[in-house]
Amino acid sequence: MQLNNLLVYLLLAVLFAPLLVALAVRWCNPKSARAVAVYGSVLHLLITASLVVLNTGYMGFEKHSGLAYEPQCVPGDSGVSGMAGTNEHRTSWNLLTLAPPHALNDYRSAPPAIQFFIGLDGLNLVMVALTSLMFFFAVLVSWSSITDRAGAYYAWLFVLQTAVIGAFVSFDIVLFYLFFELTLVPVFFLIGFWGVGGARRDAARKFFLYTLFGSLFTLVGIIGVVLANPMPLNPDSGKPMYNAPTQEATNPMNPLGPHRMPTPGPITFSIPQLIKNAYMWDTAHDEAVKSAIHRVSVAGKNATADRQKELDDARATVATRRTMIAWLFFALMAGLAVKIPIVPLHTWLPAAYSEAPLPITMLLTAVLAKLGTYGILRIVIPIVPEAAVVYGLPVMGTLGAIGIVYAAFCAYAQRDLKLLAAYSSVSHLGFLVIGLFAMNREALSGSVLHMVNHGLSAGAMFALLVFLSQRYRTLDATQYGGLWGKYPRYTFFTIVICLAGVGMPGLNNFVSEMLMLAGLFDTRNLKLVGYSLAIVSAVGILLSSWYIFTMLRRVFFGPLQEPARIEAVTVPPGDIGGRELVPVAFMAALCLTLGLYPQPLLDVIETDVNRVSQLANRARLRIDPTAVNPADAVESERQRVYE
Amino acid sequence: MSDPDLALLALAFPLGAVFLVALLATLRCGKYAHLPTIGGFAMSAAVSVVMLVNLVTSPEAHPAIHTEPLTWFSAGLLNVSFTLTVDPLSAVMLTTVTFIATWIAIFSASYMHHDEGYARYFGIMSLFVFFMCLLVLANNFLVLLAGWEGVGLCSYLLVGYYYAKPSAAAAARKAFLVTRLGDVGFVLGIFVLWRVGGYHTDMTLLFEHIKNVPPSSGTMVAACLLLFCGAVGKSAQLPLYVWLPDAMEGPTPVSALIHAATMVTAGVYLLARCAPLFVLAPSVQMIVCVTGGLTAFLAAFIALTQTDLKRVLAYSTVSQLGFMFMALGTSGVVTPSLAVTAAIFHLFTHAFFKALLFLGSGSVMHAMGDVIDMRKFGGLRRVMPITHITFLCGCAALAGLPIFAGFWSKDQILDVLDHAGHHALRYQMVYFTVFVLSLLTAGMTAYYTFRAYFLTFWGETLIPPEAGHHAHESPRGMTIPLIVLAIGAVFAGLAVEPLTHGFSGFLARTPGLHSANEAYATRVNLAPTEHPHFNLTIAAAGTGVSLFGIAVAFVLFRSGKLAEVPSPLRPIHAMSQNKMYVDEVYYGAVVKPAELLANGSRQFDGFLDSLARLVSFLPRLMAAALRPLQNGLVQFYALGMILGLAVFVSFVVFKVSR
Repeated sequence: MQLNNLLVYLLLAVLFAPLLVALAVRWCNPKSARAVAVYGSVLHLLITASLVVLNTGYMGFEKHSGLAYEPQCVPGDSGVSGMAGTNEHRTSWNLLTLAPPHALNDYRSAPPAIQFFIGLDGLNLVMVALTSLMFFFAVLVSWSSITDRAGAYYAWLFVLQTAVIGAFVSFDIVLFYLFFELTLVPVFFLIGFWGVGGARRDAARKFFLYTLFGSLFTLVGIIGVVLANPMPLNPDSGKPMYNAPTQEATNPMNPLGPHRMPTPGPITFSIPQLIKNAYMWDTAHDEAVKSAIHRVSVAGKNATADRQKELDDARATVATRRTMIAWLFFALMAGLAVKIPIVPLHTWLPAAYSEAPLPITMLLTAVLAKLGTYGILRIVIPIVPEAAVVYGLPVMGTLGAIGIVYAAFCAYAQRDLKLLAAYSSVSHLGFLVIGLFAMNREALSGSVLHMVNHGLSAGAMFALLVFLSQRYRTLDATQYGGLWGKYPRYTFFTIVICLAGVGMPGLNNFVSEMLMLAGLFDTRNLKLVGYSLAIVSAVGILLSSWYIFTMLRRVFFGPLQEPARIEAVTVPPGDIGGRELVPVAFMAALCLTLGLYPQPLLDVIETDVNRVSQLANRARLRIDPTAVNPADAVESERQRVYE
Repeated sequence: MSDPDLALLALAFPLGAVFLVALLATLRCGKYAHLPTIGGFAMSAAVSVVMLVNLVTSPEAHPAIHTEPLTWFSAGLLNVSFTLTVDPLSAVMLTTVTFIATWIAIFSASYMHHDEGYARYFGIMSLFVFFMCLLVLANNFLVLLAGWEGVGLCSYLLVGYYYAKPSAAAAARKAFLVTRLGDVGFVLGIFVLWRVGGYHTDMTLLFEHIKNVPPSSGTMVAACLLLFCGAVGKSAQLPLYVWLPDAMEGPTPVSALIHAATMVTAGVYLLARCAPLFVLAPSVQMIVCVTGGLTAFLAAFIALTQTDLKRVLAYSTVSQLGFMFMALGTSGVVTPSLAVTAAIFHLFTHAFFKALLFLGSGSVMHAMGDVIDMRKFGGLRRVMPITHITFLCGCAALAGLPIFAGFWSKDQILDVLDHAGHHALRYQMVYFTVFVLSLLTAGMTAYYTFRAYFLTFWGETLIPPEAGHHAHESPRGMTIPLIVLAIGAVFAGLAVEPLTHGFSGFLARTPGLHSANEAYATRVNLAPTEHPHFNLTIAAAGTGVSLFGIAVAFVLFRSGKLAEVPSPLRPIHAMSQNKMYVDEVYYGAVVKPAELLANGSRQFDGFLDSLARLVSFLPRLMAAALRPLQNGLVQFYALGMILGLAVFVSFVVFKVSR
């Protein structure tokens, strides 16, 4: 249990250390602010690294138990601090208790309280690692580009880090929302004060209001989800009902008696709990219909009309629930879609990306966009899986596909390199959304991997632009040409990162794109929508090379042409090197490593991805009982062959 | 050392060369960069020869060696392992690639001397060959794809080697994008196969599964067509051939590398590798054959009038690749192993003489001060005797004169086409037409090849001013590779095939081709023919048209000068000289609309943004509408209260009274 304790403290440190660093940076000598910031982020990286190593190397995630997420190293878990011996994967740290402890609040049930419920599992472990890395790079990239009020800048940066990590590690739905919204404040100030363009305040306000507007819908969705999924109670015993709802809910005296729905118990805000509850309610509704169908088929003559009515009622209840869930799905998606962004909700992005200082743009695309996709993975798919099955690929997938093509075309037409990178990021995120809603193991693994990969490669694109903007203060591609001859090393790294972006095998994006593409070839997805999405995604890879290689040709090939250098340069002349080289080379090396050897990362996320895909599989079966999981089909076929 | 280790070693040498070159470059010893490259290629070639000998002497009927699978990535049903296989097909291919590449590297060492990007050149070249070896040895579709894309990347970097030259930059981008267009199909094809092939990406397992559980013919057609898309892009077939003629913007040895051994042969190799699949889709085979035939003919037609020596050679490559696809397209109509052997045999001989011709033209360029327009030089046979003789060997091989390497392989292709034209169960007329087209193309090939030869080496000695005092025979570092390749161009065909059928017999032992043969046998209910037979009629016809083409070229160009075009032929001449206007058509039909669409999207995005802004104005508008109500006049408020009260009361009254 000692190690468990240590991990809990490490997790708390990962979450709150940036806040402490923020305080330190704010009050220390402005001249040393950036050095303190670098040390702070290195420290954070070390803590995260030890957390990752201990979690994956020493402890290992428990393989496949139950459908809900089982967060590890939860502060306030009685299994961690006490002598209970096993983790219970839940916390006792209440923030706001909504009701007096329920009479049925035995050890299994959750109190109706908003809790400080944080933890780690495979999915957010990689996201936390990504965040820690990208903030480290952002601090390095800011080194010479941010000189004005550096202390305050770094302070806001670290506040942002806490908010982002908080959103990733939250397992309480309200806590998630709080952290999710908290990210807006630092970004607002970072864009508004340290932005590079004249319209920075306008861009900051637009970003703030637009995302806030979207996330208000998400709040409504969250409240709806909480109210719709209270704890299911056994109608006889009044105890929480989590095992085999069919048997428990059918009348024990008469197995053929009418199906009895569980009664709603206390509400909960814990995400794992909500997932379980939602699953139980969905299943119970489904079972009600099934048992009614059965009862109609075995009914005698006089009972048929009654039982037919019973069946109709059951079907009506299911339909009502599905309608409600559909609305909740769209409400939840609204805020996430703005954050990602999914076309056509992306219009805040060009302004915000081009006005923000480059390190912040890098974080916006590398980390903050991932909050949206992470929300889909963490909340939308597990809690409202049926709606995700019905509306995921047809609606969100289609929007994603439109986004891939549309943003690629927009990217091609941009003259500003920053906007080009911004639209390219939107295009890639469209692919990510499609991958998420394909909802099978290949596509989900690919999506999680792509969150990391896209964070690295898209973030690196912006980090590379810092080099140019520091020397020439303009990123207008038409003013550049033939930089290869002048900056060969810089060109080398740019080409590597660009190749990662266009999905060159051996670099990171290839792996995740192939996994997502494979997921679209799932027989259950392969209807007209699935085929066209697969084709569009593949074409999207081509389009990305179209605009990227056109940009490369314009900027790096041809005779040398450069805008006037600015006089007061704070950076050494000549090719990239020293402090500027470190983050770029680091990111390029990571891209290569993840492209050649992505399996450790895939192993870490495997268990949790399987859980999500299991939930989705069952939802598919409830909606369409003929939707056989191809994995099962392969399994049975292989068994047949071996027998 | 066991054979799987040898396969890994064959990969490791070029890759090690990449690192060594990079090391040398950082140590500022770039001028020695050719040493690791040449050494790596030579070692790799030696290893391949050892593997080849092992396979030839192997007692097994269908020898194949696999390396231990090493997981690259695996999630759900998509398991991708790094596996290599050495079977007769890949061994032959690997030996060809590494052998030719070695000599090209030796040639480059002299040719690129004094170039400032010497180390970069050799580094990318090593990487290029590494990816090509990976592609050849891969036994997993996604590993093959990795090699495939890597080859594309390196060709991009090498074609754009002179980065400051705008035309080189444009050609590099074009090469990359056009081949990637085909790759979209290739990737989708891989996943269609993955789905119907028991969720395997490993080729052996996948082919096995498809053999045992044949998918519907529609699926097979779709999958094979998609794979063929990739091959069309990489191997420069109609309609995606446009990148290859431009790709000669790179240094000339690079063209030799791209055209002879690496890159463009990848598509042919892919189809040969996937023969067990293509046998199951006869309609796709017809398309492959027709595409090859049309490409061969059109490229030859364009080559007739080009005045740029390298461009003639570039179009001849496109045309010769067309020949290979014609042969591949007959697999399933004739015994698959025969068809594939014909294609791979031609690939093998073509590698020698095309490398030779390109290096020869590089030698000419070197002497002429980088001038490559045949109108500006002539009569070089006296100035450059070695280049002249070797170039002549290459021309004779390309034209398909008897004894020379190209003769034997072209004969096999004509033979399978002839057979298909007479015995095909479906599309017999189509195959026959392609056969006639191929004979015609053979004649044109001989004509344009010798046209280029006469224009360059015959007539009065003419040396452009750019050459300066440089006009001399090339140094030994360049002539020795030429001589070696010339020997290959003369004897490579004769040595391996006509007397012993060694080449075809060995290739037919490839497990994949064997299973394709089996599938063919069950489908057409015929025993597969194991060995090609030498058909004297076909050989005579092929030689006849070649000699006729050479004779015409001799009559017209022996003076070494371009003749005036007679006026009735002018439109056709212009058509050919302007490359059928294909580039212009593509620009108008694809590139320009795409750019317009991009600009349109950008404008539309502004419109979307203003819509969002409009929404943000709504609260302000509402406020503006409601603000006058709060005007501070007490009387107005009182009026409002009274009116409101009246409405409320009347509502209540009416409600109650009803």
